[in-house]
Amino acid sequence: MLKIENINAFYGDLQALWGISFEVNEGELVALVGPNGAGKTTTLRVISGLLKPRAGNVRLDNRDLGKEDAHKIVELGISQVLEGGKVFTAMSVLENLELGAFVGRARKVRDETIKWVYHIFPRLEERKTQRAGTLSGGERQMLAIGRALMAKPKVLLLDEPSFGLAPILVEQMFEMITEINKQGVTVLLVEQNVRAALELTNRAYVIENGRIVGQGTGDDLLSFESIRSAYLGDCNA
Amino acid sequence: MLEALAQNLVYGILIGALYGLAAVGLSLVFGVTKFLNVSHGELLMLGGYASFWLFALWKVDPFISLPAAIIFLLVAGVVFYKLLFGRMVKLAEGDKIQNTLLVGFGLSLILQNLALQFWTADTRSITTAYSGAVFSFAGVRFPLVRVASLVIAFVLIVALQLFLRRTYTGKALRATVENWEAATLMGIDIQRVYLLSFVMGAALAGVAGALVAVGYSIEPAMGMSWTLKSLVVMVLGGLGSITGTFVGGIILGVTESATGFFLSLTYREVVGLVLFLLVLVFRPQGLFGVKEG
Amino acid sequence: MSRTSPEQSRRIQIIFILLLIAILVALPQVIKSDSTINLAVYVLLFVSLASSWNILGGFSGQTNLGHAAFFGAGALTTRMLWLSGWNLFPSLLAGGLVAVALALLIGVPAFRLRGVYFAIGTLALSQILYITVGNMLPMISSLPAQDLAVYQLAPRYYLFLAIALFTIGAGYALINSRLGLGIMAVREEEDAAESLGVSALKHKLVALALSAFFGGLTGGAFAFYHVGYYPQLTFGPEWTFDALMMVYIGGMGTIVGPIIGAVFFVILRELLALNLAEMHLIVFGTLFILVVLFLPGGFMGVWGKISKALARQQ
Repeated sequence: MLKIENINAFYGDLQALWGISFEVNEGELVALVGPNGAGKTTTLRVISGLLKPRAGNVRLDNRDLGKEDAHKIVELGISQVLEGGKVFTAMSVLENLELGAFVGRARKVRDETIKWVYHIFPRLEERKTQRAGTLSGGERQMLAIGRALMAKPKVLLLDEPSFGLAPILVEQMFEMITEINKQGVTVLLVEQNVRAALELTNRAYVIENGRIVGQGTGDDLLSFESIRSAYLGDCNA
Repeated sequence: MLEALAQNLVYGILIGALYGLAAVGLSLVFGVTKFLNVSHGELLMLGGYASFWLFALWKVDPFISLPAAIIFLLVAGVVFYKLLFGRMVKLAEGDKIQNTLLVGFGLSLILQNLALQFWTADTRSITTAYSGAVFSFAGVRFPLVRVASLVIAFVLIVALQLFLRRTYTGKALRATVENWEAATLMGIDIQRVYLLSFVMGAALAGVAGALVAVGYSIEPAMGMSWTLKSLVVMVLGGLGSITGTFVGGIILGVTESATGFFLSLTYREVVGLVLFLLVLVFRPQGLFGVKEG
Repeated sequence: MSRTSPEQSRRIQIIFILLLIAILVALPQVIKSDSTINLAVYVLLFVSLASSWNILGGFSGQTNLGHAAFFGAGALTTRMLWLSGWNLFPSLLAGGLVAVALALLIGVPAFRLRGVYFAIGTLALSQILYITVGNMLPMISSLPAQDLAVYQLAPRYYLFLAIALFTIGAGYALINSRLGLGIMAVREEEDAAESLGVSALKHKLVALALSAFFGGLTGGAFAFYHVGYYPQLTFGPEWTFDALMMVYIGGMGTIVGPIIGAVFFVILRELLALNLAEMHLIVFGTLFILVVLFLPGGFMGVWGKISKALARQQ
């Protein structure tokens, strides 16, 4: 469904991604894991069109997204949730969700989608008239994900949804993500919380210094010695 | 004495409404696009001359020709955006503010001198049959034309507020003010949002200019003073609030009148700038809502 | 073609500069036309004004929209002291120092915030002074009859020449000093410079003070030169805007750029003024916008590209 081929991306003169290739199939929940600064967020920005790569292709259902503007890519079915949520704090929860359904195709079914989002995140319905700026960190993250779902995406890109959340909330958050995936949304998840991400996902890719250095099922990677020592803190040596 | 004071207050509110209208336009553009368009005052001047010439050449009533002034400025806004400002959209925020300021300054110089060439340095104003009409209340005089201008300014502000609160496009504008990247990820074409807010700002300047031409007077060199007043009001009124900015305009108008009344007419023009510098010195974090960097 | 070594080309540069100075020094002795000398005075005035603006705007990257305040403060102070019987040089120095004091008054609060606040703050300051001076000193300031009787153009010309050389020399010395490196580091990357222990505020203030000082001196020279003018004139926004455009068009942040910009501006203005009154501002505004949008280096930037391309061809 989503295919990334040989992406090279730069910030100014600084190369951030070196020939990244991977694939996410329909209905999958795939994680991209790796240390801070490895290029995870950059990869998501390339997919969503916020950053144009110097080389390589991003394909959605075989359609090349290379020439499309970021706002067009949302319309085509990819929604990204930025790290930290980035909700519109001056607006109400409901207004945030309404903006999520900005693209024409989603706007038509807005009221149904809102019901669906409230079903997944009941907390948002309770808070719907509140200003988003008054929400807690966890609620903001829910709102950000709910807002992205309002666009009825085929693929949802999540950037560190567990960031800054208390451990108990992290668990809840991952349950909700699993639920969203079960409801038919393909998910690409970027996480520093490697263990939780690997337990959750069908497959995962490991990224380091802007290159894909490993891939496999979550269980495979969890048992992988180098991954254990590098990311999971199981340092036996 | 008391009556004279009340009269001054009324005049202050009446001119202040136009300051507010002009500043709301500048603030809308700055909030959405981060363009600091210092040719805003010249756009206002263009609106004033559009209204003036429609009246002088074809006797079109200045209130009836307001839509024409708006359309003229919408077109001018599109031209200036496509030709100049639209090229700076992709710059980092600091560079964007700086470069739009410079380009806006160059544009203001060109417009001002073109106006001087074509329309001479003469001060002009629109004198209709009802220009002298005044109604009095408790001994205070209310010039009809200026009161009508205040009402129009007020209606426009309310309409703008409704547009921003109620419509999808308005919400898209507000979303872009807060975080353009997140707005893009909603599927909002922020290039269009930028263009829209820029031409809306130009149109608001145009209306303000037309109202200045009928209630007061216009001249080619008026732009800088109006740009500065708008900047001062935008800063003092606080960015992001349309109502706050409009009220800020009225406060500036009243402050100027009071200065004229208690101190001297000649320092009216200075008081807003002094206020601005005082805020800069004593409450810098209040400027533009947030501290940069 | 024979290649010139850096040392040789440096020697050629020095000879060229000395030759130019010699010509400028000899000018009033050779040319007896007052109008030509007056034109030369304006060229030198704007060379100083643009170069002084460039010390802050070009080297430290802070856009000053109120340079007229410094020019005017220098002019007003110098004129008052000189006409009240002070010697010229102490009057000039006092003018420069008053400009510096004014600059620090606005600079200290405005620099704590970045970017646009300083630009608007300086513009506000200069407009306040423009209006206030116009109100408080509405009468024309004329030289007394006994001064007029002995008025000579040549000393004025030499004063402007000296100030221009002084300003350019100070700019040159500055960018080749540790202080100047710090100032330019702050321009490039304020946070990085701070992390290396360069105080951004201090360096910006130094650049501002120098810029204001030379702006004030130039104003002082104007006060010594001009027979009769309204004191408000020297605070007019066009002094700032003309200087700013000269710097951008010539090449911001270079020593030569403001000089070229000033010469170009004054001569073009002279040519255009013959038949098209205010046309030069339209031409200059357009040119200025084009430079900001497409040639962020002005003439010097274009020259740099051309000479690089030529060097590659050889």
